[in-house]
Parts: sequence; C-alpha cells; structure tokens
Amino acid sequence: MAATTVPAQHIIASRDPGFGAQLQSEWTKLRSVRSTWIVTGLAVGLSIGFSAAVALAMGLTFDSWGAVEQATFDPITNSLTGLLFSLILLIVVGVTAVTSEYSSGMISTTFMISPQRARVFAAKAILVGVIGLLIHAIAVPGMFLVSQLIYGSYGIPTVSITDTDATRFVVVVALVVPLSYTLISFSIAFLLRGTASAITASIGFMWLPFMLAPLLPAWIQQNVLRFLPDMANDSLSGLTPPGSLTYLSQTPAIMVVAIWLVGSLALAGFVLNRRDV
Amino acid sequence: MIELRGLTKRYGTTTAVDNLSFTVGAGHITGFLGPNGAGKTTTMRLILGLDNPTGGSVTVNGESYRDKRAPMHEVGALIDPSAVHGGRSAYYHLLWQAQAGGIHKSRVDDVLDMVGLADVAGKKVGGFSLGMRQRLGIGSAMLGDPPVLLFDEPVNGLDPEGIQWIRSMMKRFAEEGRTVFVSSHLMSEMEQTADHVLVVGRGQLIADLPMSEFTQRSALTHVRVVSPDAARLTPHLEAMGGVVKNGTRGELSVTGLDAGAIGAAAFERGIRLSELSSQRASLEAAFMELTHDSVEYRANETSKAGSSTAEETVRELTAEGAS
Repeated sequence: MAATTVPAQHIIASRDPGFGAQLQSEWTKLRSVRSTWIVTGLAVGLSIGFSAAVALAMGLTFDSWGAVEQATFDPITNSLTGLLFSLILLIVVGVTAVTSEYSSGMISTTFMISPQRARVFAAKAILVGVIGLLIHAIAVPGMFLVSQLIYGSYGIPTVSITDTDATRFVVVVALVVPLSYTLISFSIAFLLRGTASAITASIGFMWLPFMLAPLLPAWIQQNVLRFLPDMANDSLSGLTPPGSLTYLSQTPAIMVVAIWLVGSLALAGFVLNRRDV
Repeated sequence: MIELRGLTKRYGTTTAVDNLSFTVGAGHITGFLGPNGAGKTTTMRLILGLDNPTGGSVTVNGESYRDKRAPMHEVGALIDPSAVHGGRSAYYHLLWQAQAGGIHKSRVDDVLDMVGLADVAGKKVGGFSLGMRQRLGIGSAMLGDPPVLLFDEPVNGLDPEGIQWIRSMMKRFAEEGRTVFVSSHLMSEMEQTADHVLVVGRGQLIADLPMSEFTQRSALTHVRVVSPDAARLTPHLEAMGGVVKNGTRGELSVTGLDAGAIGAAAFERGIRLSELSSQRASLEAAFMELTHDSVEYRANETSKAGSSTAEETVRELTAEGAS
C-alpha cells in the first residue's frame, strides 16, 4: 500500500485552479460517460437519416402530387424534417448534463470540490452549448445537402446552399437554434433538477408552441407565442414568413432570442447560487 | 479546524439543527454521535457549504466554506458513497475531481492504489459493491491530501471487513496528524475509534467531552462483589472511599474502588468472596439513554434498554453537556 502522506507540492497543482481547470473537469465528466456520445451520434444520425427518408418518400411520390402542391414545394424547409429528432436530443443534452448529477447525488461532490457554484455553472453551460452547436453544425447542413441530393436525383426542384434564403435558414438553424434549445433546457434543468420534469418542461416550452400555434387564437399567437424563443428563431430563419401572426422582424427577433437565453441562464444561475444544493 | 457558532437550520417548522456551537480541533478523531434524524448529515452539509444555515455561522480554517476556491487540499469529505455516476469508471470519477480541485493527475493513480482499487480503475462504478464505493469515496476525500477529513456514517451497510478497513484508515489518518470528524449513530463504533465525542439529539448538542471521560462516566465501572460475609465487608469498603450498594443475598455493587483493592481488603480481613468482577454497563445503553428524549421515531421496546445505573450517568452527562 502506498503512503498516504505525500509532500503537498507533488499533489497540488494549483490552489486556485481557475476557470480553465473547471472547464477541463466538466469536459472529463461529459466525455467519460457513453451517453454523451450516444446522444450526440443519435442526434446527427437520426436527423439526417429521417430527412433522407422523407426526401426519398417525396421523390418517389412527387409525380402523383397535385399541380399546386408541386408548384409550391419548398426545398428549403422540407429538407429539415429531421429536426424532429435533433431538437429533442438537443434538449436531452442540455437537461441530462445537469440532472444526471442531481439524480445520482454527485452534485454535492461537485459543489464540495468547487464551492464557487457560478464557475461550475458557466463551465457546464459553455460545454453544453458547444456540444449543441456541434450537433447542429453537422446535422443541419447534412440534412439540407442529403435532401437536395435526393430531390435532384428524382427531378424535384432543388436549391443551392448558396441561395440567400437557404443560407439564412441553414445558418440560423445550425447556429442559433441549438444554443437556445440546449441552454434554455439546461437552465430549466437547474431549476427543476429532475430529468423527466425538465425534459417535459423544455419540450413544452421550446417545441410545443410551434406545433400548437395554428390551433390557438390569433390574439395569443400575436401577443404571446410571437415572443417565445423558438418562434423568434423561426422568424430569424425565415421559416415564419413576414405578415404571419407570429412574425417578428430581424432586430426584435434577435433581441427576443438573446433575452430568453441570457434571462434563463441568469435566473438559473441566481437560484443555484442561493439555494441548498 | 471547524468552528460552529449558534448554527441553526430550519426546514419550515422543523428545526434540523438547533443552535449548535462546538469546535473540532486538529489532530484527533472526533465522533459526532446521535440517533438517526438528529441532524448529523445536515450539520455536515452546512459545514461543507452545501446547505445554507438559517442562523449562526460555521467556518473551516477560519473561512466560510463557500468562500473557498478549490478546498480539496484543505478538507476532504465522504457524505454519500453511492453518489456516483454508474456509467463512469473509477479513474475518471477521480480525474474530474482532481482537475476541478487543482490536483495533479498523477495523484489519481496513487489514490486508487492507496484504497486498493487500482485493479478496477477502468471498471464502471455502477458495478461496484458498497464496500468498493466506500473505498472510492475515501479516495476522493484523500485526493488533495487534506489535514481535515469529514466522514458521514462511513460504516453504514458495510460488511465486517469493510468496517475494519474504514476503522484502520481513520486511525491511520489520525496518526498522521489529521483531524477526522466522523458521524455515527452507533456508540459502539465510536468507542473503537474516537478520541472525542459530540453527542446530538434533535439538532441540539447534548454532550461534548473526551471519549475517556465518556467511557469512565457512562460505563459506571462498578465492581460486583458476592460474599457470604457481605455485611462485614461493607464498612471496610466505605472506609476506603468506595460507594457500596447492597443487593440481595450478599451481593454488593461497589463504585470508586477497583476489583484489586476490594480483593486485597477482603483478603486482609479474612472475608471470603464467592465472586469479584468488574462490571461495565454497555456504552450503547448509556448512549441510548442519553439520547432517549431526542429520538424522533422510536419503537416502544428500545426505550427499555437502559438500566437504572445508566440513567444516572445520563443525568450526569446531560448536566455536563449543558454546563
């Protein structure tokens, strides 16, 4: 058995290891469990695969579509049907990075080692945001390009990624959407601390408004839904056309997205700092 | 050095920790005793800055824990050995901690070696037995080689071998000059290891005294003497400073004298003894009596466990604790 007492200088690298060490530690946590890689892989694989399958189905049936349907076919928005999977998995990434520590009780060890809770929170948020960005930076252009390739091979109208509308759509969905999805659900996870409740709440808040919007009264669409983060994302990306009830012009849309992002992080960080672990 | 000043924690109307004040000094094992629900774990969490006190204050090395940057080299703690991510290997479980705590990576291997987990370093913690998790937890606490160690109920649920291992580790840490603050609801466990005891019940401090004193007072080291000539012996023993209680059929219960002195006195006077033995009331019984009023949930049977002699000790101790 090795001696327990070792001269301190051989053990202690730094008495205040700082933010870099915190990032390193949180990264070790993420990379050392299989679920991180599985969820990341699934998000990319399922979304591209699903988009490809839908594009294939469209290609196979396009000739039988009505003339109006064929004429109004939008190769930009139709190419990203796989978002169904990637968006939910972005939420899973944001939530489980937090709740896996609460459910195991390991969060106590985390804050025992790093009593400066804000540092832990910031390091986690950065890594979760980067993972979300990476997932969509691969998945979104992937879905787009695979779909266009399939459309092309069936003689369906395609669009180039350099087309202004296409570029805007792909860039916003690849780079803005993952930040709001992962970081808002990350904040919700710190507030609720339970995996199931946080995932449910995040899906309800981020994803459901888009699905339910057409069913809700105009007043709610215009005065409530319009200012929710994901609806603002849709205005930014061009998915929501100008003149639509939930449309916001670019500057207010950017502000709405930013306010939700910063606001939810600030609230979660504040609560975390004050509350018992 | 851990200092509590009027530390209080309330959850709604329940007071988990009630105006606790004590100091845990350097270089010995301090047992933190109390029945389940007495507030031991809450006190530990308050010390470690995990929960916020409702009132009072607690400092570790003169500083509030939450003000520290990376206190791994100051304090090591084991609160819940099961609080691990089952999908992470033992090595990575210690590595993320070392990184966050500013500890050299090489220390992880040393610690795994020290707690006897080097062979399973790459195995997922989810497959570990409680005993192995306990070792891993001790490893975490030792990463920064801290002078102060906190263990919450470290022997709970362990098999005899595991208990033996924890005991030997705690003793070794204390011999190395570290402060070991260890909670338990088992008095008998503390008897083996602690130098000093703090007893709490319902969040309040009941006793704060050296183990030797606790043992001496609570164990009521009385001597049982049985003699056909008991009546003749009694005045002699009283003259020597003993306190004698007469039982039935020549039975005496003597305190203040040891068996050797009583034997010698009887021999000198030619008094025949048929039995002479040192008696120790169980520490466990004394402890249970001590915390009797403070147990929150109790089956009726347990309250009968203490003997009348133990009860007296308890009063003495309570007075001690209150003074």
